Amino acid sequence: MLRRSLLGQPVLLVTLAFAASASGQEARTWLDKMNRAVEELNYQGTFVHVLEGNAETLRIIHRRDGGASSERIESLDGAGREIIRHGNQVQCILPDRRVVLLENPKDVSPLVSALPSYSDEIEPHYALNLHATARVANRAAQILEIKPRDAFRYGYMLWLDQETAMPLKSQLIDDQGAIVEQILFTSIDLHTPIPPQSIEPTIDTAGFTTLRPPESSQLAAEIPWHAAKGPGGFKLSVAQQSQIAGSEYPVEHLVYSDGLATVSVFIEDPHTKSEVSEGFSKMGSTNAFSLTLRGRKVTAVGEVPRQTVRTIASSLVAE
Amino acid sequence: MTEQISDQISAFIDDELSDEERGFLLRRFERDADARNRAARYTMIGAALRDELVGPDHSILRRRIAVALTGTAPPAQQRPAARLQWRYWRPAVGVGIAATVAVAAVLGLRAVNVAHVGAQGGAATQSAPLQARTGNGGGGEPPPSYVVPREVSDAPIVAAPAVRLTNYVMHHSEYASSLGRLPVRSNVVGAAELLPPPDPAPAKHEPKGE
Repeated sequence: MLRRSLLGQPVLLVTLAFAASASGQEARTWLDKMNRAVEELNYQGTFVHVLEGNAETLRIIHRRDGGASSERIESLDGAGREIIRHGNQVQCILPDRRVVLLENPKDVSPLVSALPSYSDEIEPHYALNLHATARVANRAAQILEIKPRDAFRYGYMLWLDQETAMPLKSQLIDDQGAIVEQILFTSIDLHTPIPPQSIEPTIDTAGFTTLRPPESSQLAAEIPWHAAKGPGGFKLSVAQQSQIAGSEYPVEHLVYSDGLATVSVFIEDPHTKSEVSEGFSKMGSTNAFSLTLRGRKVTAVGEVPRQTVRTIASSLVAE
Repeated sequence: MTEQISDQISAFIDDELSDEERGFLLRRFERDADARNRAARYTMIGAALRDELVGPDHSILRRRIAVALTGTAPPAQQRPAARLQWRYWRPAVGVGIAATVAVAAVLGLRAVNVAHVGAQGGAATQSAPLQARTGNGGGGEPPPSYVVPREVSDAPIVAAPAVRLTNYVMHHSEYASSLGRLPVRSNVVGAAELLPPPDPAPAKHEPKGE
């Protein structure tokens, strides 16, 4: 009996390891499916954004046509801001400030999100677990937990639509297990054809100040800056000069990603009259940290804990 | 729509208005479609956050309106512990009340989450250790981190000019993963940026032991 038990242990361990691996693979498959659903489906819905005890209702309309995506997100409460994206053209209307921001980033999200991003490279930094099913917005959902293995990144609980993998509910969770932010669809319509006019702005911007990036500047091909040391797993994925709306000079833009979370670092031109205060600031759950290095204002921004933006920004060096 | 009306709608749903205030709001509903829509939205959101939403259900709103019209006493029911702090309740409007509501709402959400997750087999995220990592990250070993995360909770949050930071966050959202993009854009649209750091909570005067 004892011998049989001892012989059985390695088999049991191998079986458990195989089961864990299979579960991780299945979880990554769900994430990849979600990645495609968010970008490739037609959908419109109302969702609640809960942050630090504030709740706000927003509406999203996403249209896919011939491989190109367009999208409109509007606030149904408060200031009534809107973001409209047509391919690479992004327009943010801030009626509370009577400002329109226009952006035209290169190498933007449709390309980034079209790439398979949830490889097993994320597993050293996150544990993926599938849980039971539930119902959200009157649809069956698969629950997926993404648990960080250190304090440099947030965790997620996701409720993914069983049919399409569209995230119906998501929670951003800090290293103490507290919910930092929650997004919850109260209603969603999937697969419905979206007419192009649904993506047009609903706000009359007559008299608003429009901030757009300058068009004539030559952009440098190489960026001499990089983070000398950073949190494990955050790798440089983009390094480029970018034109930012309202800024006379281009900024150097670095993007670091661990496969799930991303941090952007903006390095202002020395001629730019810096407007950003040093230290921490935040926009909802997006943390930012600014400091001056070699006479350049450096700002790191990302959906990560505060220590992560500070660590990356502080470690920047020029070659 | 003023903050006062929005607040009254929230109070109406929570059955916290006087008869006179209820009457005023009903008259407002008759002529103001925006107020009606807002009341319906708040009712739906409350149900969704309580995990009750499996389809459109405005029974709470219908009940409130019926009570206000007929004068019948509302059926006995447990009053919600706290309303969520909607965006328009800015800290300038009653900092103390808003902070109390916010804390209660966050605690409520955490409690809901723990209960929900706990029912699914203890999926709650554990505290991550704040120490340097070594090793290759395979076989369940912790991943390599090149630096030690430091607690920064005491560092002040400063307010940066809104447009420039909005600009950076907007630009950043284009490079966020599909998981992070919607929250980042919701932060921009929600105009939740750059609130000044909350005043430090006044020191509690605990009764001293004898």
